Amino acid sequence: MALIELEHIVKTYDLGLSKVPALRDIHLQIDRGEFVAIVGQSGSGKSTLMNIIGCLDVPTAGRYRLSGRDVSELSDDELADVRNLEIGFVFQSFQLMPRASALENVELPLIYRGVSKKERRARAQGALDLVGLADRMTHKPAELSGGQRQRVAIARALVTQPSLLLADEPTGNLDSKTGEEIVGLFHDLHGRKNTIVLVTHEPKLAARCPRAVRLVDGLVIADGPGVKVAMGNAEALGAEAVAQLLAAQAATVQR
Amino acid sequence: MTESALSIPLAMKPRDLGFFRKVLRFFAELREAIVQAAISIASHKLRAALTITGISIGIMTVITIFMVESGMQASFARQLNSLGPNTLYVHKWKWGVGGNDWWKYKNRPVVTQLDWRALQKNATWPVAIAPSTNTTAVVGIPGQGDKDLKSVNVVGTTEAFLDAGSWQLKRGRFISDLDHELGTDACVIGADLEDAFFKNGDPLGQALKVGPMARCTVVGTLMRKGNAFGQSQDLRLVMPLSSFLRSFGSKRGLVIAVVAPAGKVMETEDEIISVLRNSRRLGPEQEDTFSVNRQDKILQGFNQMMMATNVVGILVGIITAIVAGIGIMNILLVSVKERTREIGIRRALGARRMTILMQFLCEAIMVAAVGGALGIALGAGGAALIDILSPMPAAIDPRVVVGGVVGSAVLGAIFGLWPALTAAFLHPIEALRYE
Ligand SMILES: Nc1ncnc2c1ncn2[C@@H]1O[C@H](COP(=O)(O)OP(=O)(O)OP(=O)(O)O)[C@@H](O)[C@H]1O
Ligand SMILES: [Mg+2]
Repeated sequence: MALIELEHIVKTYDLGLSKVPALRDIHLQIDRGEFVAIVGQSGSGKSTLMNIIGCLDVPTAGRYRLSGRDVSELSDDELADVRNLEIGFVFQSFQLMPRASALENVELPLIYRGVSKKERRARAQGALDLVGLADRMTHKPAELSGGQRQRVAIARALVTQPSLLLADEPTGNLDSKTGEEIVGLFHDLHGRKNTIVLVTHEPKLAARCPRAVRLVDGLVIADGPGVKVAMGNAEALGAEAVAQLLAAQAATVQR
Repeated sequence: MTESALSIPLAMKPRDLGFFRKVLRFFAELREAIVQAAISIASHKLRAALTITGISIGIMTVITIFMVESGMQASFARQLNSLGPNTLYVHKWKWGVGGNDWWKYKNRPVVTQLDWRALQKNATWPVAIAPSTNTTAVVGIPGQGDKDLKSVNVVGTTEAFLDAGSWQLKRGRFISDLDHELGTDACVIGADLEDAFFKNGDPLGQALKVGPMARCTVVGTLMRKGNAFGQSQDLRLVMPLSSFLRSFGSKRGLVIAVVAPAGKVMETEDEIISVLRNSRRLGPEQEDTFSVNRQDKILQGFNQMMMATNVVGILVGIITAIVAGIGIMNILLVSVKERTREIGIRRALGARRMTILMQFLCEAIMVAAVGGALGIALGAGGAALIDILSPMPAAIDPRVVVGGVVGSAVLGAIFGLWPALTAAFLHPIEALRYE
């Protein structure tokens, strides 16, 4: 069953003097339980697309249906509830509250669904534990490293146990080992029938995904198995990288 | 890495929170809003302190005005009871009028003994007619200058005065008509004088000096009356009218108190007017050159005065409200600007517009209510100080206290509303991109 249905999605940023077409006629359908990677060069419209899928932004034109509901027909309060109850969003720039501790940051979305203080604390601790930050709970974002902040952001997206996880470059600031661990976590979630959309620059990570979509200048130019779409750049990557990709794919298949 | 947090199958999630959860959510959000407001205020102590000071000074001013006013009202009501409701006062001045006609009244001839005589001879309604005049003078015991009392209210009058006012004799006798005819040195003293001069002895028959030259002999004492308008009513000495005029000048104007029979106040007033017009030989086209006053006229004048203070209080209140409100609005606008990104984050994580609105309204109300409470405390202190230090009475009216706190909270909500709405209606993505 289609969870996400994007039809002729256009997003143009109006800067007064000029218009920036960030998305041009995006056609995309993602089913419940899929794990999709979105790849593409910087400025190709990945984040813009994620914001629309995450019900944070509205397209200039086109129709977006989430679980069959036309998002443009939902009220602002309903959209807020969708964001809170159904979607977990990991922002490219983390978007942590500067004045709040890691724990308070992770607790925040639970406030908006009326979870008691005690349970909030317990769940937030569990989520931080999960991303390996059990010893940094009381630190403010400014007191954390880039990778640690990124993991707080991931914990905050996971704490609500979202059925749709949207992660915009969640491993950009992580060393490859931690990055692998996080992606492993995503694969776990996927194994539990959750839907995951992951924006990534790393062909290796995309190759491990069952499906990948490549954006160029706001258009979908490739949509297919992760390995194939990730290898779209095979010439540029070189033989060694391609071999690695194939190995990665083999690892996925084994799972 | 543990998996405990994710052990529930995630794909099956409820779409709607349900009523119970929504109630819980409201309280969780309210709590968060209050905490955030407190943090916001605490992290900008100076800014908040300035606004709070502004609000509290404003509230204090308004509260002080209203407290003094209600104190005056209470004391005036007490005071007014001492003037009999059936007593008319013939005076050069019309009581309770403002400054507009000042010259008209100023230029009138004073009320004299001739007027009194005319009334005594020709008026039939009055039960009692008592002329009186007064001044302040130093009163003391001859030869004991150190015991002198300054600013004693010295009254010159006749026997009928006792019937017209609400004075009561404690000991001895009052001034008699004979005292007036003969111009004797008899005098009756108020409780303050009795206490000051004759604490341990019998005042009757004792001599007092009144002003620079006059002497008198105490023939009676008056019952204690207490304070009115913050001034003692008992710092008083009564002497025969003729003796008074001899000592303090015979050109002095009189006030003639005329006691009407119950229910015949109007008739008595008409009679007084016609008798006096006749005796003053006023033609039909001429205006009265005297006024017949009643206590309700004073009440009218008093109410006019109160209205003026009310208007001043309300004006000061409005100006204060606007100034304080702008201060609150300013704080909130800065706070919203500073927290723009934070608003974006909250919205992205599921905060509704209402949630954001609540957060900033909480901040506005908190600043305003703290300012209001402080202002009321200062105002109450100020009123107490005025009551102690000046003759003006002031009372703390609980309605003013409650009204002040609630009022400033409402003020905060009103002026905080616009900034809070701008916060609530920020576009989530634009808020997130705000640098
Ligand atoms: N708020 C905005 N106003 C104007 N232009 C914008 C805005 N947001 C994005 N754009 C433009 O839209 C295009 C797509 O931006 P987007 O952030 O979606 O790229 P991206 O694929 O996420 O890039 P990256 O990999 O660097 O994150 C870019 O050309 C960008 O300049
Ligand atoms: Mg991006």
